[in-house]
Amino acid sequence: MRREFLNGFTLKFIPLVWSGIWRRPARSVLIFLQVSVAFSLFGLLQGLKTGVDELVAQTRADVLVVHGSLALFDPLPLSLLEQIRAIPGVKVAIPVELSGAVYQNPAQKLGIVAVRPDEGWLSAFTFTLSPGSEAAFRRLRTAAIVRDGVARKYGWKTGDHIPLQLETPQQDGSTTWTFDVVGTYADSDLNGGSDNVLINYDYFDAARVADKGMVKHYKVEVTEPSLAVAVTDQIDHRFANSGNETTTESMRALAQAQLQSIGDLNFLIRSVVGAVLVALLFSTATMMMQSTRERMPELGVMKTIGFSDAAIFLCILAEAVTIFLAAAACGLGLSVFAFPLAAHIVPGLSMPPVVVASGLAVAVAAAAISAAVPAAHAARSNIVAALAAG
Amino acid sequence: MLGVGLSGVAARPSSALTILVGVTCAVGALVSMLAISTGARREETGSVRPDHVILSKTGERPGQSDIPRDEAAAILGLPDIRKGAAGEPIVVFESMTFIEGRRRGTGTRIYFPVVGVTNTLQDYLPDLHFTGGRSFHSGLHELNASNACARQFTGFELGDTRLIHGVAWSVVGRFDQGQAQNCVVYGDVDGIMAAFKRNTYTSVALTLQSPTGFDAFRAALAANPALHLDAVLESVAVADEFRQLNNLLTFVAYFVGSTMALGATLGAVNSLYAIVDSRRRELATVRAIGFGPGPIVIATLIESIVLALPGALLGSGLAWALFNGLAASPFGYSIELTVTPGLAAAGIAWALGMGMLGGVLPALRAARVPVTTALRAAN
Repeated sequence: MRREFLNGFTLKFIPLVWSGIWRRPARSVLIFLQVSVAFSLFGLLQGLKTGVDELVAQTRADVLVVHGSLALFDPLPLSLLEQIRAIPGVKVAIPVELSGAVYQNPAQKLGIVAVRPDEGWLSAFTFTLSPGSEAAFRRLRTAAIVRDGVARKYGWKTGDHIPLQLETPQQDGSTTWTFDVVGTYADSDLNGGSDNVLINYDYFDAARVADKGMVKHYKVEVTEPSLAVAVTDQIDHRFANSGNETTTESMRALAQAQLQSIGDLNFLIRSVVGAVLVALLFSTATMMMQSTRERMPELGVMKTIGFSDAAIFLCILAEAVTIFLAAAACGLGLSVFAFPLAAHIVPGLSMPPVVVASGLAVAVAAAAISAAVPAAHAARSNIVAALAAG
Repeated sequence: MLGVGLSGVAARPSSALTILVGVTCAVGALVSMLAISTGARREETGSVRPDHVILSKTGERPGQSDIPRDEAAAILGLPDIRKGAAGEPIVVFESMTFIEGRRRGTGTRIYFPVVGVTNTLQDYLPDLHFTGGRSFHSGLHELNASNACARQFTGFELGDTRLIHGVAWSVVGRFDQGQAQNCVVYGDVDGIMAAFKRNTYTSVALTLQSPTGFDAFRAALAANPALHLDAVLESVAVADEFRQLNNLLTFVAYFVGSTMALGATLGAVNSLYAIVDSRRRELATVRAIGFGPGPIVIATLIESIVLALPGALLGSGLAWALFNGLAASPFGYSIELTVTPGLAAAGIAWALGMGMLGGVLPALRAARVPVTTALRAAN
């Protein structure tokens, strides 16, 4: 029964809705374009905001970074390593030192990440190493594992000797360091940096002339994710009021802090999205109002031949929803397409599907709001008055 | 002619309102986004002086350089440097490092610079004046903080102390400097370098006799074989440092502004079509009494612009009321949003554009109204 009614309804109404849309093609096309534009902006802005939140949620909360208390790049001495490892709940602690380098010319910048490949070191990182490279990295002091993108960019292969100009001078004053490529790695951490080279900390520290025995931070993996907060407090407590005060943060907290700089603009993003929707609603509501006013005589005829008030209401609503949905899909599609361009400021950002879904839902709501008043007006209208309006 | 136009507006108030709201929102968004980059630029260039020069090691960036003490001392002998009150050249040896603070209220992490400086700083920055306390003394662990620090962070009241690598440094003075709104902390350069285990200065800043002496100064610098340094004007150094941020902010502002303007223009086209349609008879009458299509097109365009302009004023006003003075820290920089008359002018220009573009198609339709049928029509 219900099914029959629905079938009848659809059969009868699709052509009606369709002809309603194309009654004034120019107007419908303009509304379509306006809605598309609004939703492409909605997609981009909302995508940026939601995408950032999702990225933060994906970073590991069970890996901690221990650095000096003054800043993220405030160094600590290597001597803290054993004390950190002795703290209950610490599974792995790995010293990390950073430096900058260029390859061939100053425009080709690289990040140097010196790590000590102690037992289980990989679990404190988000790296995926190419097969065999880990053993070679442990064996060869001058080994380098290169980020996959960098290896492709400069055509480096396993076995290559690569001369790099580092910011860190060697004992003899030279800043040219030569490393042996033993493999490549991929990194799922969004703050990992895309142009990095992994080298051995012990070799780097022995060969450099200054800052010996210092590290930029320690990477710490906890035995249980639930222990992360407790371990964080214990590490900082252990070194409080010493000459080497530490600040310990999880990777997730770090990502959050780093991306909060964008979050700081949330108020602005919300205001802009709000303004877009208000302007859109106002404009489309006016158009729908005018459209129904012009069609009063036709609607009067429809009523005369037996269309119910509810049918008229649904018919006008369906028109608006159809245009809005099609236009929003088009606009959101455009924003998905353009998203990689807008998102290059945040590496690893991708358009969350939930934004597209919520965009479509907002479109239906916007259509309903802008069409509700004129549709109700049309449904309530008196046949005689409607016919006379022409 | 305009009277005819405005009568159409009166007949379709909701259409006119649509244009107003659309333009208001688009201009409001554009102006408030641009206010970020204006605020950033004001912050960056507020204290830049044309006779200031920054030195760094050849090929290194100012503020991140390594200038050995002996090389720095040799700079004092260069010509064209202005002399201070005591007769010594105005050259400031700096050692800058960034340390992190937590924003008041939100707890957001923001880095602020701690700059170790020599006592020539007062001559180098004559517009720096203390609003409380006194200047730091060399050899003591004392800091001077700009008033922005206390506004943005906790722990910068006079007498507050801060641990730097286990040593307590106390805040002994608070100052304002020109238009600068960012937190800067000064301390004795030797003490700061010792605290951060450094041997080299990160940059050297100096004041020239006159801005025109820059080329001569640079030539003298290049001619000295003991010095491997580059000199840049402060304005150039600042522009380089912030180019990426400025480009990004401006791009985002214009991208969002243009997209919204596009939407508003489409809405305006629709509304103007409606207004034109509602007065076909008047237009036909005007044509019948001898006006050509030209004046009708122009009148419709003027009308479209007249409808868009209040939106520009309203939009700029809203942006000013909502966002002027709001502190934002995009990408870790601390910026106060600034809505200036220049931005309002940009908003008005934008609105003019929207009015013109939105008016073209409806104006052409108005000019093509067929005289006889329109006159005969009942509506």
